[in-house]
Amino acid sequence: MRRGVVLLLVVAFAAGVVFGLSGCAGRKPTEEPVVEPEVSEETDALTGEDIPLPDVDDTVFVEPLSPEFENIHFEFDRYDIRPVDEPILESIASWLEQHEDVKVLIEGHCDERGTNEYNMALGEQRALAARRYLVSLGVEAQRLSTISYGEERPLDPRSTEEAWAKNRRAHFTVSD
Amino acid sequence: MTEGKSRTRPPVLLVLRVVAAAAISMALVLPVVARAQDVRLSIEKGFGEKVRIAVPLFPSTGAGEPEPEGIRDVLLFDLSHSGYFDVVENLEFVDEAERDDRASGRIDFAEWLALGAEILVKGKFQSGLSEFWLEVTVHDLEGGRAIFAKRYTSAPDGWRAAVHALSDEIVKRLTGEDGIAGTRIAFVSNATGTKEVYVMDYDGANRRRLTRESQMAIYPGWFPSGERIAYTSYRGPRQELHAVDVSSGATSRLTAFPGLNAFASVSPDGREILMTLSRDGNPEIYRLRSDGTSARRLTYGRSTESSPCWSPDGRRIAFVSDRSGRPQIHVMNSTGGTGERVTFQGYHNTTPEWSPRGDLIAYTSQIEGVFQICTVDVETGEVTRLTTDRRHKEDPSWAPDGRHIVYSAKSGGKSDLYLLDIYEKEPVKLTSGAGDYLSPAWSR
Repeated sequence: MRRGVVLLLVVAFAAGVVFGLSGCAGRKPTEEPVVEPEVSEETDALTGEDIPLPDVDDTVFVEPLSPEFENIHFEFDRYDIRPVDEPILESIASWLEQHEDVKVLIEGHCDERGTNEYNMALGEQRALAARRYLVSLGVEAQRLSTISYGEERPLDPRSTEEAWAKNRRAHFTVSD
Repeated sequence: MTEGKSRTRPPVLLVLRVVAAAAISMALVLPVVARAQDVRLSIEKGFGEKVRIAVPLFPSTGAGEPEPEGIRDVLLFDLSHSGYFDVVENLEFVDEAERDDRASGRIDFAEWLALGAEILVKGKFQSGLSEFWLEVTVHDLEGGRAIFAKRYTSAPDGWRAAVHALSDEIVKRLTGEDGIAGTRIAFVSNATGTKEVYVMDYDGANRRRLTRESQMAIYPGWFPSGERIAYTSYRGPRQELHAVDVSSGATSRLTAFPGLNAFASVSPDGREILMTLSRDGNPEIYRLRSDGTSARRLTYGRSTESSPCWSPDGRRIAFVSDRSGRPQIHVMNSTGGTGERVTFQGYHNTTPEWSPRGDLIAYTSQIEGVFQICTVDVETGEVTRLTTDRRHKEDPSWAPDGRHIVYSAKSGGKSDLYLLDIYEKEPVKLTSGAGDYLSPAWSR
């Protein structure tokens, strides 16, 4: 039951986001191409077969819809929170305040420079730094778990300053 | 004794050394005394000199795989990379001398000596449907006598192991040292698209995948028995420590603490594990029982303490700490404490691995912007750089002989594993094919 409430809240939140977005986009009429059904001579052969209706409870709510939290980023070889990212953490903290049953997983990531082992530890430090910051804003520590991916999951696989800057990040997802 | 006062290199093939080793520990070493008599060779070698060994093709009394050339290639690789032998390279002359011997029905010692050989390995083999066998005799050419003869049998697809066992026997009989031809290397590859733990023979043959992960398996570390490998696994939103059985592929979970469960190093007696955990809010080093229970915290700092490994006697731990502001190699007692810093050159020194001989720690050091492999002498602090070219290298792991190292090097966006004799410094590429080859761990 509790899970259902959480799902409803999440769905409501997501719906709000979608509604807000469409509002911003205005009411420009969209031109969708009309697909003409292909008429076949042998339509009769394609009558189809009745199958049992799917169980709504099992299919509609398989995955909870989670909000898209913004990533925060880090300087090279550092794990301190940049002042520019503090508003992102504040918005996550206030969202968590409104959704008391939700837990968040913080992933720490690095660019490819440095040894693989060093980056694994550095990625964890980034996740832990984000966690400490959220705790300092009042989020209960036990609602925040951390995982490091080191240099294993780059957003941008190129070896450029731009790619590295993108890859040095903490990523937030709703966890069970 | 030509074995010098404070030599850093291990002595090369030396008859006297074996006899002396037996004399020093008389009670224990009766078998070695017997061996010492085996190797009462007429050659004596100064320090750093290698023994020249000739290996003619072994004739096969059957048909099918392997070819005689295949057997010899494996044996020559083993012997020439043992560190103790120079192989007589003009194989045409070697095979001609062998034909002459067979025609005359005797060994023409003078002809073999004229080819520059000191030791001669003669053999024959047969590969059948159910069994492979190999019979060899090893001769001391100056002494004009046979040193030992052996027969090896294996399953037909196990012939490489038989040849490796022969190489290790030659090394043992002639130097008293344990060879590495029978050892294996665990590593990580993303050849399937997912990082998985693999194992291969030390020469790169018999590559085999051990894990079947949904996300990835990284940082393999051997249990000393050689039967299991600990590794870090991603399960759902968690990092966990698992162990995989090398023969069966069965896996079991050892730890699942919040945060890091990484860089496992199994103790020399197999009873304990060192690893990095962040369950208390900061990456620190913990000591656990080898089943993953009874985690005890060893380091307390606000910096990152990571990548622990045991000294070969199990009494000390090498690890990385950035308490000085930059990652440096430190050493502490295996009961914990603050330890002391051992690397002072460079600003990025990581991935320590303690030599099985106990004197050196190999590690990765950033030098002029490139990651290179170095060693530091634990007592003197002397640093030796082992690699020079401009490719990034990392993760050195020691062979049980304390003389060879395997590491990964990145070239053209792809990482491969390389074998290096730390005294000769000529790397040998061990892997090829699609994918990266990383995080090597040499079996004990």
